[in-house]
Amino acid sequence: MRTKQQARHAQHGVVFSALLLFSLVLLAIQLWLFVGALEGLLDGRTFMPVPAAAVSLIVFGVQIWMFLGMRRLERQD
Amino acid sequence: MVEKELRDEFPIDWEDDDYVTRREFFRFLTLASGGLALGSGVIAGFATFSRSGRSMDRKLVGKATDLKPGQSMNFNYPRPNDLCILIHRSEGEFVAYSRRCTHLSCPVSYQHDKNRLYCPCHNGVFDVVDGSVKQGPPPRPLPKITLERDGDDLYAVGITRGVEA
Repeated sequence: MRTKQQARHAQHGVVFSALLLFSLVLLAIQLWLFVGALEGLLDGRTFMPVPAAAVSLIVFGVQIWMFLGMRRLERQD
Repeated sequence: MVEKELRDEFPIDWEDDDYVTRREFFRFLTLASGGLALGSGVIAGFATFSRSGRSMDRKLVGKATDLKPGQSMNFNYPRPNDLCILIHRSEGEFVAYSRRCTHLSCPVSYQHDKNRLYCPCHNGVFDVVDGSVKQGPPPRPLPKITLERDGDDLYAVGITRGVEA
């Protein structure tokens, strides 16, 4: 029979994997934004780089938030 | 701390040394994310400030009498490395475009016999009248250079960029 500690540990593992996958998706989105911003710059269009940078910054904030959350989970284990 | 003491006590390599923990991988992802955010910010700053500081001054392109109908000449506007082309379409009617193809920035050239602007890299074709895409992979029309005529002199005074079709 699993103890409460073991169950919590397994649950944290699932949460951690989900965060990791989500982080990878966010990184792919950031890469796409970066390429879009670079293309806009080289093409002379100014409407793309600024919103792309703003969204990328927000995504980075989410990544930090998840990283801190992950550390909190680790401390609970 | 304990791991460091153990390492000092037993300095032996083993295969788990190459093991990347989930935490390390997450840290790498976060750092990569920060790098991309920083890079995007730099690009945004560069795009904003370099363009706002770019002068669109009136610049003498050439004399209207230098070009016969059907002829073209190259010039640079607004910066010395921005390639443009001036075309004398018909008697007294001049148009000018950026020579950078909107696909991958190859220089386009004017083909009088086919009345078109042609990009040889991927067979892109632009209309001479308005710079719109007639054929090939370019996603947008060529940026059009606004011209002003003062007597016999032709001046470039601005750029109009086309929107994606």
